[in-house]
Amino acid sequence: MQSMTAALSPGLYAEVKKSDTHLAITQLTKRFGDFTALKQIDLEIQEGEFVCFLGPSGCGKTTLLRAIAGLAPQSSGKIIQRGCDVSTLPPQERDFGIVFQSYALFPNLTVYGNIAYGLRNRREDRHCIRARVTELLALVDLAGSESKYPAALSGGQQQRVALARALATEPSLLLLDEPLSALDARVRVNLRGQMKALQRRLGVTTIMVTHDQEEALTMADRIVVMNHGVIEQIGTPEEVYRQPVSEFVATFVGSMNFLDAVPEGSSGLRLGSQCLKCLPHGLDDSPRARLAVRPEDVALTPCTTGLSATVQGIEFLGAFLRVRLHLDDSDQPLLADVSARDAESVALAVNGRVGISLPAAAIRLYPASEVAS
Amino acid sequence: MIASTLMPARLRSSEALIRLAALLLGLALLVVGLLLPLLTMLVKSVQDRNGDFIGLTNFIHYFQVPALVNSIQQSLFVALLSTMLVVSLAFLCAYGITRTCMPGKRVFRVLAILPILAPSLLPAISLVYLFGNQGWFREALMGQSIYGPIGIVMGMSFWIFPHALMILTTALANSDARLYEAAEALGTPKWRSFLTITLPGVRYGLISCTFVVFTLAITDFGVPKIIGGQYSVLATDVYRQVVGQQNFQMGAVVSVILLLPAVLSFIVDRLIQRRQVAQLSARAVPWQPTPAPLRDGLFAIFCYSVAGVILLVIGTAVYASLVQFWPYKLSLTLDHYGFDGLAGGGWSAWFNSLKLAFSVALIGTLVVFFNAWLIEKSDGFAPLRQGLHFMAMLPMAVPGMVLGLAYIFFFNQAGNPFNWLYGTLAILVLNTLIHFYTVCHLTSVTALKQLDPEFEAVGASLKVPFWITFRRITLPVSLPAVLDISVYLFVNAMTTVSAVVFLYNSDTRLASVAVLHLDEAGYFASAAAMAVLIFLTSLVVKLLHAALTHVLLTKAQRWRQAT
Repeated sequence: MQSMTAALSPGLYAEVKKSDTHLAITQLTKRFGDFTALKQIDLEIQEGEFVCFLGPSGCGKTTLLRAIAGLAPQSSGKIIQRGCDVSTLPPQERDFGIVFQSYALFPNLTVYGNIAYGLRNRREDRHCIRARVTELLALVDLAGSESKYPAALSGGQQQRVALARALATEPSLLLLDEPLSALDARVRVNLRGQMKALQRRLGVTTIMVTHDQEEALTMADRIVVMNHGVIEQIGTPEEVYRQPVSEFVATFVGSMNFLDAVPEGSSGLRLGSQCLKCLPHGLDDSPRARLAVRPEDVALTPCTTGLSATVQGIEFLGAFLRVRLHLDDSDQPLLADVSARDAESVALAVNGRVGISLPAAAIRLYPASEVAS
Repeated sequence: MIASTLMPARLRSSEALIRLAALLLGLALLVVGLLLPLLTMLVKSVQDRNGDFIGLTNFIHYFQVPALVNSIQQSLFVALLSTMLVVSLAFLCAYGITRTCMPGKRVFRVLAILPILAPSLLPAISLVYLFGNQGWFREALMGQSIYGPIGIVMGMSFWIFPHALMILTTALANSDARLYEAAEALGTPKWRSFLTITLPGVRYGLISCTFVVFTLAITDFGVPKIIGGQYSVLATDVYRQVVGQQNFQMGAVVSVILLLPAVLSFIVDRLIQRRQVAQLSARAVPWQPTPAPLRDGLFAIFCYSVAGVILLVIGTAVYASLVQFWPYKLSLTLDHYGFDGLAGGGWSAWFNSLKLAFSVALIGTLVVFFNAWLIEKSDGFAPLRQGLHFMAMLPMAVPGMVLGLAYIFFFNQAGNPFNWLYGTLAILVLNTLIHFYTVCHLTSVTALKQLDPEFEAVGASLKVPFWITFRRITLPVSLPAVLDISVYLFVNAMTTVSAVVFLYNSDTRLASVAVLHLDEAGYFASAAAMAVLIFLTSLVVKLLHAALTHVLLTKAQRWRQAT
């Protein structure tokens, strides 16, 4: 598979300003009987933005997507698209294209018939439709596949046909419901880059639902992390990764160490008998807190006078080593990802002791009441 | 963009309104075609001849007449006996088809299905020729008369056998080889695997089959009418009360009583079906039989004996219809196919049946499938959709005789706005469609459930109206099921007697009713001829259907199995 290199029809999405709000969702709530799937969601999405809804299954991300599409109308709340209130409109009158997890390609129509499905309905003349389908197929790198049936295509190819079909009517909003999860790992990584590149060039506002954090981190301009029907955090991939606002986000995105600690002052904490510096945390009054630090931020030192730990196991993971540690003083487990060179410099060995340094900027504190998942 | 945001309100309402209208029409069809007639009949059963309410007096009267009450016991007797006979025969044959390597399975399956193509009157007529007072094998009955329970049980068993065989073949085909391999690895003897794996695996299919067979047996009218003699059952009582004695109230009472076992077995069957869902996991590996000469040989002998009996019964009817004057003048003739001047309406009855069958097949298939689509695939109006589904399930619980009589009561009322339907072909179409609605509905729902649930959502997102997606995608993709439904409706419309026997008039006589009248009038050879004619018509249509399905599937092969 090559990258999607075909020429674009100029000016498709060019006339909109990036700073404008494309979609504004206010107080959106969706109930299924007694179960509340979405609780008062507020969300704004800018023109041309690529937003990922990320969360575990059952967190409400797909429900939110279907509410935006009008496929599962909300119980209350508003959806404004480009200044128009679309809250009560059926899907037919909303402006969006959608790609489903199953692709839902029409099995009895050829690739051409599938992509032209929405165009035929607009009573465009045959030549226009043909030109548009050819253009779209080139866009998704499937030129010449017009007469094939979906069953004759590979999963990745089907996915791209579904994408072309969704884009055919030039929707201002593209909705992707776990579009990559039915594919092999290799194809998935490949297609990830291609879809992102295509979206950037077309500039079409895009919302993608996924439970794969790596997908969200690599593709999204902004990530909406959801859990139990509420938004936990909205931010760029870096913000979500570096500054998770809650223990849930910290656990769900990337891997994270959690340690029981005691806040000391406004920007310090105590771990066992050791006092550490950290960024201002606002938990001054709490007797207990949860300290979060990513394994790759844990630095190992030869000096064991401060915070120290016993090495319990070493896993070789190619580019780095994952070291299982046990903090001597506070009696808690800790993971550290270190490069082979760093490992050499501290003479890493199972049952050996190493010094631990937790950089102040990498430490985050969360209230202790939250339950780690 | 701006245009599409200004227009919506009107467009939206139009598409949703069309769906709403379609749903209401579907409901109206079942309310008028099923619910109101049934209610009218229930009301009639507690009224006297003048239409005054008299409570349960009719029922009390019914239970005081020994001749009438006797029928309950007799109906149960023949129905239970037929059920036992049919289920055991069908189980052995289904086992032979699915679990042995007996030769000629496909031929046997085709032969075993043949009885379904004939009206239930045909085996009864054949049995009279075989075992009647001048029959070839009358000595085999050792002095017993074929006119009575023996004939009824034999005739019913013949006619119901294919239904049971189809259910049990499906049930036995769902097997998980891994279970048998595990049993074998543990050194389990064959008979024990059969008792601990095979039987539990098909228990729901077996129970469901038993109830279906019992319902068919207790509600059948054709066989006891022809061969029952003085032995009366509930279905023939309804006919006798209404047509013979013009006692509509008592007809209603017998109908209510006939309705009870049918409703009961319907409820049990639905409960079982609900349990059956998670029987077989998706990872099950189908079991493949390995050759075992002794077992295969025994099953082959058994199955082909059954097939031989089926061919003998059909062959007898064909032969009897071609013989000059049984048993005295056995030269062959086509005279009996003239029907000139005889009772029943002759060839015009056959044309009427053909018209009826084609109308029901065409209209019914579209109506049933579209309604199933509304229930399964459209959104909004959830209570209406559930209501429609419930109503679509009901006809299965209503015996044909009951439905037919209910139609008389409802449509023949003075002041009924649908009164004009009475005595037309249209009422026969409506009645037949409703009578066989449920099986078609279930077939449609099964087919629709297999489709990707997002087709409609994709269509909507591309601003394509739902009816275009229905026509371009849903209908073509479900074509095999749609064709199955249409041929099922055709064959049933061709062969049914029970409901329509109350509803025809001189212009709309039907072939199946003609068989009845020819037999009543003593033209036995012509009755056989008409029954054979119906059988051949169904057979030709069934063959055309098979050919058409084959062609369509080969054409569709391009997209179905393109990989």
